[in-house]
Amino acid sequence: MSMDAFLNDAAGGLGAEHVNTADETLVRYGENTMPGGDRRPAAVLYPGSTEEVAALVRLANLHRVALFPTSTGNNMGLGTRSAPAAGMAVLDLGRRMNRILEIDEKMGFAAVEPGVSFQMLADELKRRGGQWMNSTTSGPPQGGMIGNALDKGAGYGPYFDHFGFSCGMEVVLGTGDVIRTGDGSIEADNLVNWHVSKYSFGPILDGLFAQSNYGIVTRLGVWLLPRPPAIRSFHFAFPDDSDLEEIVELCRPMKMSNFVPTLFRVANDLYLIGSEVPSPAYAASGGRKSISDDARKALQREHGLGAWTVSGAFYGPSMEAMEPQVQRVVGHFCASGKATYIPHEEAMEKPALACAVASFSGEPTNTELGLLKWRPGGGNAWFTPGTPMDGRTANEFQKLGRAIYEANGLDYQVMNVAGPRFARGLHVISFNREDPDECARADAAYRALADAFYARGVAVGRAPVDWQDFHMDKLMPSFRDACAAIKRALDPNGVIAPGRYGIY
Amino acid sequence: MKTAFTAAQLAEPEIAAADGILRTCVHYGFCTAVCPTYVLTRDENEAPRGRIDLIRAMLERGGRPDAKTVGHIDSCLSCNACMTTCAVDVDYLHLADIARAYIEENYRRPLSDQFVRRLVSRTVTDPARFARMTALARLARPVRALLPGRLRTLVDLAPAGLPPRRDFAGVHPAEGARRMRVALLQGCVQQALAPEINAATVRLLTRHGIEVVVPPEAGCCGAFTLHMGKADMARAAAARNVDAWHAELDVGGLDAVIVNASGCGTVVKDYARLLAEDPARREKAAAVAAIARDVTELLAPDDLKLPETAVPLTVAYHDACSLQHAQKIRGRPRALLRAAGFAVRDVPEGHFCCGSAGAYNMLQPEMAEALGRRKATHIESTGAAAAAAGNLGCLAQLGRFTGLPMLHTVELLDWATGGPRPDALRDVALPEPVARKQTVAPTGAPGAPPPAPPPDAPSDASSGGSTGAAIW
Ligand SMILES: Cc1cc2nc3c(=O)[nH]c(=O)nc-3n(C[C@H](O)[C@H](O)[C@H](O)COP(=O)(O)OP(=O)(O)OC[C@H]3O[C@@H](n4cnc5c(N)ncnc54)[C@H](O)[C@@H]3O)c2cc1C
Ligand code: SF4
Ligand code: SF4
Repeated sequence: MSMDAFLNDAAGGLGAEHVNTADETLVRYGENTMPGGDRRPAAVLYPGSTEEVAALVRLANLHRVALFPTSTGNNMGLGTRSAPAAGMAVLDLGRRMNRILEIDEKMGFAAVEPGVSFQMLADELKRRGGQWMNSTTSGPPQGGMIGNALDKGAGYGPYFDHFGFSCGMEVVLGTGDVIRTGDGSIEADNLVNWHVSKYSFGPILDGLFAQSNYGIVTRLGVWLLPRPPAIRSFHFAFPDDSDLEEIVELCRPMKMSNFVPTLFRVANDLYLIGSEVPSPAYAASGGRKSISDDARKALQREHGLGAWTVSGAFYGPSMEAMEPQVQRVVGHFCASGKATYIPHEEAMEKPALACAVASFSGEPTNTELGLLKWRPGGGNAWFTPGTPMDGRTANEFQKLGRAIYEANGLDYQVMNVAGPRFARGLHVISFNREDPDECARADAAYRALADAFYARGVAVGRAPVDWQDFHMDKLMPSFRDACAAIKRALDPNGVIAPGRYGIY
Repeated sequence: MKTAFTAAQLAEPEIAAADGILRTCVHYGFCTAVCPTYVLTRDENEAPRGRIDLIRAMLERGGRPDAKTVGHIDSCLSCNACMTTCAVDVDYLHLADIARAYIEENYRRPLSDQFVRRLVSRTVTDPARFARMTALARLARPVRALLPGRLRTLVDLAPAGLPPRRDFAGVHPAEGARRMRVALLQGCVQQALAPEINAATVRLLTRHGIEVVVPPEAGCCGAFTLHMGKADMARAAAARNVDAWHAELDVGGLDAVIVNASGCGTVVKDYARLLAEDPARREKAAAVAAIARDVTELLAPDDLKLPETAVPLTVAYHDACSLQHAQKIRGRPRALLRAAGFAVRDVPEGHFCCGSAGAYNMLQPEMAEALGRRKATHIESTGAAAAAAGNLGCLAQLGRFTGLPMLHTVELLDWATGGPRPDALRDVALPEPVARKQTVAPTGAPGAPPPAPPPDAPSDASSGGSTGAAIW
């Protein structure tokens, strides 16, 4: 294995200006927000086309070096741009491959290269008159469709499932071969169904490239939603931690019938307030203790939010036309007398709720990034289990999770993103990465949480780079063997991101 | 980020302030993706995070800064896109100001560099001198090829001619009942280059019942020199303005100090900090800063006195960095333009700087030109018939790269509420006027301008705002 020879050949092919080994670059590309430390790569390369990516993969096979692809590189809380291990050559696809290749306003899809960010696509759709919207996350606006979809990321509107609402890929396999998936796989150059039909002849290979390391995706079709003329949100604040049980029971029927077209964001106090202000309690305990219940109550009052606040939205022809739907939801959620209704206009005055509205509206926003300063020192990791939409189960999980955070002196910050049958529980672990003790507690908390949830039959939706091996080890041996066998078939020399999601 | 300043270093207030800011940066790097110089170069040292590291090293080391560090700080636009994106609110703006002042004091620039910087800082901030230098540049144009590169840039950037000088000093009474009394900053270069902006501002405000005073002693706000590291010159300018406005405040009372160049507005709003070490003025500066407003903050869409008909011209609205990133004003100018009957288009890559950035386009012409062309292409891609912005610097910079008429927001608002048709629109074929009630058609009607968002709502689409009726 010779990285030097690889880089030499790569510079010959790409041009030396597209191979970066400057010290400051390598330091930055190794940085992340995890407790386990940075992972400095050997080089950063900027391919400009699918052909160049394929050529680099073939060179990597020749020289037996490991490549780590990243697209927009905003994988915050999950590893940022860090590879599973130090010393790999990062392919920063986003730098040069950042074109919106196609927007079809009749069929409602866009085809994008890896560097196209949520913000770029949203801007372009707006420029074209705003007839269409793309689903966006409430995370970094400069994150993008390809990296996010491949990591099974999600938004909050009807097209929230970013992998599910993608259609048709172009992929460079670990061998250097290039394939098109779905209807793109026919040997022709008029691929009219590539980005409109997911399932035609043959096996559905697309899923192989999500949360894996079998290929490098260089093009993806993403479906667009007609932008409604008006979007009207509604919000309900509930006073007690245990109200989660009632909330989940209330959300389920509204989603089962799809009466509410968006997902429900069921966020706890510290998730919402944490995106607005730093912890007022951190300094007092030096970060060794969780914030007290009294301090939480005070924050809830100050910000006009509940122990849990539920947000959703309707899409319609005008704000007024949605009045009957809003009334019905208000009646439904306020029936027990526990909820306080927060109407759309009032919510727009509260940054954390305005952020929810933006996420229902395909509008990228920075607001939620404020969560990263809840504690000082920049540590941030996401634990992402889920619960069936059963109130008692959800509440049991809530108590379980909260206790583990408290045992480790951390602050419970959770948003349950609820659909009809399932809610993803986005647990934020904020910690001071400059404090070794807090790092150790963050790591211990993550593992304890994962163990406790696995014991109840629950895996995570996405794994931060520090714990991908740990999660893979929890799966049944035959599943792990199947993953490894696919790796050997598509990437026999293991050149693409060895270890990503625990696959070697 | 950890820092390693000695106790002696920390005894200096500037170093202590820098230390406080540096410690907040945790290297997330959200800022890099939105930094224009990074996006164009992909050099980590051309990104905010890289610059923050370089500033830390420079200040910790003390003594003379190295040329590499100075180069990377000089190439920063001060556009503040990084501050809008930073998750932990690192105060890059003030860190960069501290670094620039440090460089100014401790670094010896090459003579040609010193000469150009001195020329720029003295010329741009003084309307009379600016007029003389413009005339000189005109004479030099035929021999520009013989000039050294930096001077050639200045000659190229100088306007072909200047409009007749107008001075707005004095009191401009409100029409009808007086609702408010405000002081207007008439500025330095704007006064020479585009007096029509101040004229439109005075007409617009007085028409809406606002008395406008322009104290003759007030002048350049200090922004140019501040961003060049010439903090003493900037403080002197600020002190003069604070004295003049505070005297007005004392005598006739002021509801606001109005700034119609957002680059200046950002600095005026920060006068309390700039003059914090000036005991005689500290409090006065805070009082002035507290009432400083961009001109669009003063008028609400509902306040506009609109005639029966509107000209539904399509206008691309460009967010000046100083308005969107520093003052966080995005929704209000759009809402005002829409209320006035214009069809407003957003410009793609709106968070990006146009490359004007104060004196930047004179000092860093290559980067400025690349950014100017990029922004102009985006503006043209909207298909709008004209473009508007709230900052003269952007208008002048973009005017070099696009043939589209560039107007200040107040010129359009003045026109729509009864003022003269702006000169920039002289040769533009205008759409037929329409009865006003049609221009405020229900949300989403085809062809109608999108409805006004609530002022500065975080999201422009959150309460509607599409033209999607056709498919809904
Ligand atoms: C406050 C906060 C809020 C967040 N909210 C959300 C949210 O609402 N929804 C959500 O989904 N996430 C959220 N995130 C997580 C994360 O920031 C986003 O998912 C982000 O979009 C991921 O980064 P990216 O899109 O730039 O992808 P990248 O970082 O480019 O890619 C992600 C990973 O996918 C792999 N990959 C990338 N490109 C390729 C390719 N072309 N071929 C093969 N493999 C590839 C790489 O391993 C890479 O590390 C949030 C994070 C924070 C801090
Ligand atoms: S300035 Fe803010 S966004 Fe940039 S690296 Fe520092 S903490 Fe991160
Ligand atoms: S102010 Fe603008 S140019 Fe300077 S570092 Fe920040 S984003 Fe980059």
